[in-house]
Amino acid sequence: MIALEANNLRKTYCLNNQRVEAVKNVSLNIVSGEVVAFLGPNGAGKTTSIKMMAGLIKPDSGWTKISGINPHRNPRALEKLGAVLEGNRNVYWRLTPQENLEYFGVLKGLNHSQARKSGIALLERFGLQNKRRTAVQQLSRGMQQKLAFAVALVHQPKVVLLDEPTLGLDVEATEEVKILVREIAASGCAILLTTHQLDIAEKLADRIVIIQKGEIITELPTDELISKFSGNTYQIEMESVLDEVRITKLEQIGVEVEEKRIIYVNQPELIYQVFDIMKPLQLKFVEKAEADLTQIFLKLVKEGK
Amino acid sequence: MLELFFAELRCSWIQFRRYPFESIAQIVITSAIFYGLFLGAGYIADSNIQLGDRLDSIIIGYVLWILVNFVIANISGGLQIEAQTGTLEQLFLSRYGAVKIFLMRGLAYLTLEIINIIIILFIIILLTCSRLYFPAILVLPFITVLLGAYGFAFIIGSIALLLKRVQQVLPLFLFPLLFLLTIPTETWEGTAGLFAKFIPMTPGVGLLRDLMARRENLNLITLVIAFINGIVYFAMGLFLFRVAEKEAKRRGILSGY
Repeated sequence: MIALEANNLRKTYCLNNQRVEAVKNVSLNIVSGEVVAFLGPNGAGKTTSIKMMAGLIKPDSGWTKISGINPHRNPRALEKLGAVLEGNRNVYWRLTPQENLEYFGVLKGLNHSQARKSGIALLERFGLQNKRRTAVQQLSRGMQQKLAFAVALVHQPKVVLLDEPTLGLDVEATEEVKILVREIAASGCAILLTTHQLDIAEKLADRIVIIQKGEIITELPTDELISKFSGNTYQIEMESVLDEVRITKLEQIGVEVEEKRIIYVNQPELIYQVFDIMKPLQLKFVEKAEADLTQIFLKLVKEGK
Repeated sequence: MLELFFAELRCSWIQFRRYPFESIAQIVITSAIFYGLFLGAGYIADSNIQLGDRLDSIIIGYVLWILVNFVIANISGGLQIEAQTGTLEQLFLSRYGAVKIFLMRGLAYLTLEIINIIIILFIIILLTCSRLYFPAILVLPFITVLLGAYGFAFIIGSIALLLKRVQQVLPLFLFPLLFLLTIPTETWEGTAGLFAKFIPMTPGVGLLRDLMARRENLNLITLVIAFINGIVYFAMGLFLFRVAEKEAKRRGILSGY
């Protein structure tokens, strides 16, 4: 089931008497349970696109639907949407986590009793039950972010927008956020995530969408994108440094040796010849060298320029 | 909408209870300002000055002006703070819409602020030895003043939504309003009297002065005029706020400046 649809979104701003096309033509569909990472350099149009999908910015043209309802025409669409927005606090610092959840639960369409029950369950799920009566301003940044997640989920939305959810978090809190995102997706929510931390996008996303200068330049499932940019190179690392005789033999068959320990085999058919030359030395590991998302992203963005 | 009202009321009560010093400071400062002005006026004129119902009229105007200040601060000031602290966009992600949220918030806040207003009024009465009359019927013109106050607050709120900072602009509205609410516009005649009926809240304030200070009966025609005045400003405020919301979304400036 398509949880979020965006079709030909366009947005132009007038800045200092100049027209700036922030978003030129963005179309996107996300199904329930899918995590889509929306990546792009600064100023590419990610936040504008997300906010148009959330009903916070009016597109100049195009439309968006959340579970089949356009949020710009019918505010009931917002009952299906939760968001954690970057650069925002997202919660009230003078209130406690429980009070925030009860308040925002009602704002998102629940009655007080439902908001209270949902809030208690979320506090337990997010490990905040001991802090439920502590004012948010006294919580750590990681706890505040977890609370922001909880507030986004209090009304059990179908779509969750996460704009830089790990920004400013330490390593432990970042790992907790990653686990939360997986759990939220597993419960059937469609997630649209923007982040500059590409390793997180690579681990969490089912699909990668890269935007540059307001246009989508790539949209592929994560595995497919990485395979597309990964060659057939094998990387072999030895436990100890190779002798000069072996290095010479390897170079003669057309294999690259780095730091006298790491061997790159570009032609897969040579791999067993390499193993014969290496016998009986100890191998540390053998793996197919895959491109990582950072390399792919930088390559695509550079090509886009 | 009742659920929303009670959620806002709970929120307001939590903050009222958790930060009592803010209410106490509000009461003390507001009462002290008036008493300072009162003593100053007495010194300038004559220490035995007897203002009679004129003092009562000024007290009513001043207290209502304070009420209007509170309403405006709650809506437009609140909006500004929400934009600065980064919770404004979360409010716009609610299915209720910003207008209903701010209206219910304003009403919930008023429900508790009324206590402060009553305390301020009684402190001023005690300090100035004024005598005011409180007939039950005063609720009707009070409602007309509230309608006008909320309409005015939403008009300023619509400016706050687009500009995000209204601190410098606010005195331009509030101080002329003090003048208009404390002087007895209901005694103006001719063109001036007709003009006074178009000024926000003044017909309702005039009626309250008639009832509470002059102990006159309620004039039904003036009450109808006061209701029309209140409803027109209220509708104008809501309309302008919706227009500002649409414009803020078109410009992409809901958050930040």
